[in-house]
Amino acid sequence: MGENRNWIQKILIVDDSEMNRDILTHMLGEEYEIIEAEDGGEAVAILRQRSTEISLVLLDIVMPVMDGYEVLTVMNRNRWIEDIPVIMISSENSSVHIQRAYELGVTDFITRPFDSAVVRRRVANILLLYAKQKNLVDLVSDQIYEKQKNSSLMIAILSHIVEFRNGESGLHVLHVQALTEILLKYLVQRTDRYKISGRDIALISNASALHDIGKISISDEILNKPGRLTKEEFEIMKTHSLVGASMIRELPIYQEELLVKTAYEICRWHHERYDGKGYPDGLKGDQIPISAQIVSLADVYDALTSERVYKKAYTHETAMEMILNGECGTFNPLLLNCLKDAADEIKRELKVNSINFNNERQLKSIMNEMLGYKELSASKRTLHLLENERTKNEFFAEISKEIRFEYTVDPSLVTFSRYGAERLGLKETIMEPKENEELWSAISREDIHILAGRLEKTSFLDPVVEYECDVNYRGKTCRTQIIARAMWTEDETPKYEGTIGKLIPVGENGEIKIQKRENE
Amino acid sequence: MTLKECYYVLEGDYEGVTGRLGGERLVRKFIFKFLNDPSYAALVKSLETGDYEEAFRAAHTIKGICQNLGFTRLGASSSLLTEALRHQNAEEYEALAALVKEDYERTFSAIRSLQAEENDGRTL
Repeated sequence: MGENRNWIQKILIVDDSEMNRDILTHMLGEEYEIIEAEDGGEAVAILRQRSTEISLVLLDIVMPVMDGYEVLTVMNRNRWIEDIPVIMISSENSSVHIQRAYELGVTDFITRPFDSAVVRRRVANILLLYAKQKNLVDLVSDQIYEKQKNSSLMIAILSHIVEFRNGESGLHVLHVQALTEILLKYLVQRTDRYKISGRDIALISNASALHDIGKISISDEILNKPGRLTKEEFEIMKTHSLVGASMIRELPIYQEELLVKTAYEICRWHHERYDGKGYPDGLKGDQIPISAQIVSLADVYDALTSERVYKKAYTHETAMEMILNGECGTFNPLLLNCLKDAADEIKRELKVNSINFNNERQLKSIMNEMLGYKELSASKRTLHLLENERTKNEFFAEISKEIRFEYTVDPSLVTFSRYGAERLGLKETIMEPKENEELWSAISREDIHILAGRLEKTSFLDPVVEYECDVNYRGKTCRTQIIARAMWTEDETPKYEGTIGKLIPVGENGEIKIQKRENE
Repeated sequence: MTLKECYYVLEGDYEGVTGRLGGERLVRKFIFKFLNDPSYAALVKSLETGDYEEAFRAAHTIKGICQNLGFTRLGASSSLLTEALRHQNAEEYEALAALVKEDYERTFSAIRSLQAEENDGRTL
């Protein structure tokens, strides 16, 4: 923890007057790295690519293309404003302007004329304040991480004790936990009927580890009997759900904890059936808490696909078929649909039977929990992951010499990879690409509109479009294939957010042809 | 001509600007840059073509630069023009644009003389 002292913070100065940018750069350039933007559009493009790097924005109000208020609106929509402080610089000192800017989340105002000492001091103060806040956020998230890690560990040990007696490897608990989480994730995508939050997902999958603790009261002879259980033995076996539930109910403290309540539901009712023919209470339909319904399904799937003293392991496909055909009990049809949706992911995830698998899961569930806290949405850890992804992406784009592009609907903005922009003779960032004449010099207006139309008509499940047209590379035309993937939000009614894609010159030996012509 | 005399001629705030920018060095650097600043040309052109939105932005930029460089007189007239353009008082544009022109030329020639003398001084 603690910021690296050698790390130079970056400040983005957004002002349409070069003179004003220069003056500010002179005042701040010795202590900070300055990035300049000539107008709001450019500022948004820079923020979109480097929002995690920038420590502060100095923002003018009156600018062409996009003014300061519009930049603030975009910063709010993308939640950059929560992590990047903005100082408005302006000669607009009427209270209406100032009030509007504060409402949009600016931290401070600097009015012209700039006083060198004042500018430096305010910038330094705000950076210090944000650094302190960020450190606190990191401190809190590290503590949550530590706390959750410890409690998951305790649960894992406890449930392992149960399985240990059972002669099982301990993987069952991990599998049920993973399956529970995956199923919950798909359930939330399908419906909001059960009002399940990110924190609930973490809670239920954690508590799922305790589903069989009642088995501790079952004798070894019955628990590890290789053959079929007699009717009497099965009746004894069945008591494990009630025993588990009362073990939890009789905990002397923590009865009000959500984890304890959830664990109680799961222990008691994970052998109920949707048609009311389960045990111990014969609950029917949604009388059975959703937590128990999910764990029940996860339990059955894993029992089928694992080897037991009394049976061999079935394949994923057979297990799916048996469950969907109702050979292993009746389940909520909604959950069966989730199981179908999740089939590929389940098959993939459960293949990795290592302990790393669990660590990663755990981390993910911690992330889920943390997402429940708005303030923690951009902790150092998350930012670090993002930063990594971005660096990787840039590096590969650079070395693979690809003409890549990325388009966002709001703000309407297309960004080309550096190499791509160079090949096409375009700027890296282009505003309003559908109506931008500069872009038409490379790809005809008609082609852009057809392509955009097709992308908007794709769907969440089938988002890829391939399109072929002539593209002008700095005066040389070459037949080009454009492969693009529309990006849809994960909401219940997905929204078209933008597109990523690349251009592949295909003409006769596309690449070679162009180079040859350039040499002529 | 000294920098102080130059500010006297263009009717600016010498004490203020040298105080804010921490001495004469930066002030000189930036006022010489002002000679090449494109904002005034942009203002003239957009007024000619009747693009008043662009004219507003140009006048606004000039006003901002004047505030930063302590050009009190040009700052006052460009501020009036900015407000007229903001509120689209068409009958005022012309008179105010003439005023800005006069002040801009006065400011420009004062800085130009200072720069010329400085260059002469260097070649000597």
